[in-house]
Amino acid sequence: MVMRVSENMKYNALMDNMFTVQDDYNKLMEKMSSLKEINRPSDDPIGMSKVLNLRESQASVAQYSKNIESCQSWLTITESKLSSAGDLLVTAREIAIAQATATASADTRTTGAGIVEQLMEEMLSLANATYQGNYLFSGTTTGTAPFSSTARDAAQIGAASASSGNTFDGAVTSGGTYTGSTNKTYVVKITDWNDATETATYSVSADGGENWTTTGATFVLPAAGSVSTGDIGDGVELTFDDTGSAALAENDVFSVQAYATGYYNGNGGELTVNIGEGTPFAYSISGEAAFTDKGDGEVDVFGVLNSLKEALENNSQTGISDLIDDLESASQQISNSISRCGTKGNRLEIASGNMADRELDLAGLISNAEDADVTEIITKLSMKQIALQASYSAASRIGSMTLLDWLR
Amino acid sequence: MSGIDILNIARDSLLSHQTAINLTGSNVANANTEGYSRQRAIFSTMDPGVRIAGIERMYDQFLGVQINGQTNSLEGNEARQDALSRIEMIFNETDGGGISELLNEFWNAWEDLSANPSGQAERMTVVSVSQSLASLFRSYGDDLLDVQYDANTRVSSLVTEINGYAEDMADINGKVTQLAGTGSSSGLNALKDEQESLLTSLAGIVDIHYTRNTDDSVSIFLSNGLTLVDGNRSWALDTVADAQTSFNNVVFADDPATSINSSITEGSLAAYLEIRDTTVEGYLGTLDTLAASLATEINAQHALGYDLDQNVGGDFFFFDVDPEVQEARYLKVSEAIVADVNKVAASATVNGDGENAATMSALRDELTMNSGASTFNAYYASFIGEIGQDVAYVNRSVDHDTVLMTQLTDKREELSGVSIDEEMMNLIKYQTGYNASARLFAAAQELSNTLMDLVG
Repeated sequence: MVMRVSENMKYNALMDNMFTVQDDYNKLMEKMSSLKEINRPSDDPIGMSKVLNLRESQASVAQYSKNIESCQSWLTITESKLSSAGDLLVTAREIAIAQATATASADTRTTGAGIVEQLMEEMLSLANATYQGNYLFSGTTTGTAPFSSTARDAAQIGAASASSGNTFDGAVTSGGTYTGSTNKTYVVKITDWNDATETATYSVSADGGENWTTTGATFVLPAAGSVSTGDIGDGVELTFDDTGSAALAENDVFSVQAYATGYYNGNGGELTVNIGEGTPFAYSISGEAAFTDKGDGEVDVFGVLNSLKEALENNSQTGISDLIDDLESASQQISNSISRCGTKGNRLEIASGNMADRELDLAGLISNAEDADVTEIITKLSMKQIALQASYSAASRIGSMTLLDWLR
Repeated sequence: MSGIDILNIARDSLLSHQTAINLTGSNVANANTEGYSRQRAIFSTMDPGVRIAGIERMYDQFLGVQINGQTNSLEGNEARQDALSRIEMIFNETDGGGISELLNEFWNAWEDLSANPSGQAERMTVVSVSQSLASLFRSYGDDLLDVQYDANTRVSSLVTEINGYAEDMADINGKVTQLAGTGSSSGLNALKDEQESLLTSLAGIVDIHYTRNTDDSVSIFLSNGLTLVDGNRSWALDTVADAQTSFNNVVFADDPATSINSSITEGSLAAYLEIRDTTVEGYLGTLDTLAASLATEINAQHALGYDLDQNVGGDFFFFDVDPEVQEARYLKVSEAIVADVNKVAASATVNGDGENAATMSALRDELTMNSGASTFNAYYASFIGEIGQDVAYVNRSVDHDTVLMTQLTDKREELSGVSIDEEMMNLIKYQTGYNASARLFAAAQELSNTLMDLVG
């Protein structure tokens, strides 16, 4: 059967087709100008969420690379400071060997003592070196200068420090005799405060507040007078005196630094950053391990140099020659630390290579998922152009073919 | 048989052709009128001669039902498309700059802080990136609510539209029953066309059932069987604020306590109800869950660390207005931290290290969402994927409905539409008929003259 064709059908069909082609054309133009296959989530929902996930990986990989770079700079500086320190020890050892001979005189030894003093000062400035405002060798207390010029003869307990946000505004003092072998930060945290009985329950941390021993220990804060916690570890004590207006409250934090003998003021901790997913990396070398005989360290570098200086000043040939082995061990200790820098550096090198590879891979994957294929688009675009021209040409003729033209 | 007969035949023929020519004129004039069905004169023999037995309105009732059904579906999907494409614009993260990118910056800011925990610049970056992130959560939440409120406004204006159409239909029903008695078929046909276009308009908004009665009036029912129009009476709908959500419920004006929301299943009204109560509500739920989990996880980790002044970390994020209402639109960074960036708890110990910041940024890889199945970023990415999926689906539905609609409209046009060529052919045909009828008069006159001459 022949189909009736009404006027509206002719126009509608033309309009529909024209809009369809124009719509396709516009979409292609959009892809062409943005050079992206996905211009809104609905263009490719799965692709879109894939791209977002890939971008997240890309951002984290870029950050890990940045972290690796800053670790590398830190290690490079550390290594150069340590190798200078090694050189100083070699010089000190040469002096010791030269002055340990019978040919050396009191005069040459005095001169030697002067040089060793210079070496000590030089060593102190190396060990107290900073990178971007942070001390390289103070463990995790990067704001404290790690070494002092004179040694503590006995262990010391620093002043108690109350956190600024504490409710308690009375006096807190430290006391006791420190028996620990390394520098530590003791923290007391009030975990419960009973206002009626004025009883405080508290936890103690010996590592600066990261790990806690919950002993359930309590003390009663008297209205007048003071109360001591007793030994909270290695002989450290805190004394509370309710001289202020507010009593204790939960989460009040009090800390105290305890120092072992020697020149070191930092701690044995290492600084860490993430260099990959779930990969924290300790990038610093603590001064404790590199320069002291505490914790991981074996030889007290400053102590040995100081003994050498004193032996030279005292013109003691045996005293000097006894120190040669110690100086050898000190050099060994420094060079061990240098090789630890090297190991860390290698690890970073590998990680950095991995990250670079991943960055490339991710860029490729993202490009695959969202970038437009320009050649394909141009081909399609010119096809659509022809279709569009055809429909315009058809539209221009629509009025010219009717019976009316033939009726006179 | 008498000589007068030929005169009568000529007169009838002339009048019949005149009527046909008039109808042709009317068809040509209405060639571009929306909803117009072409009309055709039906010639019928009379012994002797011709008469117009009726004027036929070329219309297929069943096609009409199909078209109305399709309009129902198409306009529903178009309403969905309208709302969803607005939502898609809000969440278009193809060029970055959205929550996804800010989350990345947020984690990276913590990483930078972990490398230099005492750095003021690093601390400020953490705080300002977190503020941007929180403010984006707030604005996305508000934008979604806007879409929801707009849908709610649309519901009440569509109800007003329904009432208008129902009243018009009742009015026309009254006129139709009056005209049915007078036999004026062309006037009746015009009213029928009006009825059809009212039905199509109504079908676009709400799914209706309707019957054409013997008196040519149309009765309209909602899908739950309740009457909207019967004869010259119509029942008005109204909107009443829901006691809980305070959104508009659709009700019958004479029974304001009974919501009929659930009886409206398709058409633009149903679409806006669905957008308001299901779609946007769902999106808001997802966004709120993300904001709440982020705040909870970050706050928990923050409380394990110490700030630069050795204090235990306080809440990093909080929810404004009411801390219990953990919705994205209320997410903010703690005012104490904004005022003093030293309060960012970057350290795991009181000694000022950066380990807590590193642990914080490691949360990016923790499977914190979807009961331990995805990370924050992955959860958000799949949320964007879900929105994209929804938009793509509704776009496809609209395309599909449009194609069907075009085919149905063509089908209707094929029967009811006016073809100028056809009308011109008819005009020639009827004109010839008219001319020939006029010749009949001349012939009759000649006959009569011949007769007169014989007599005279």
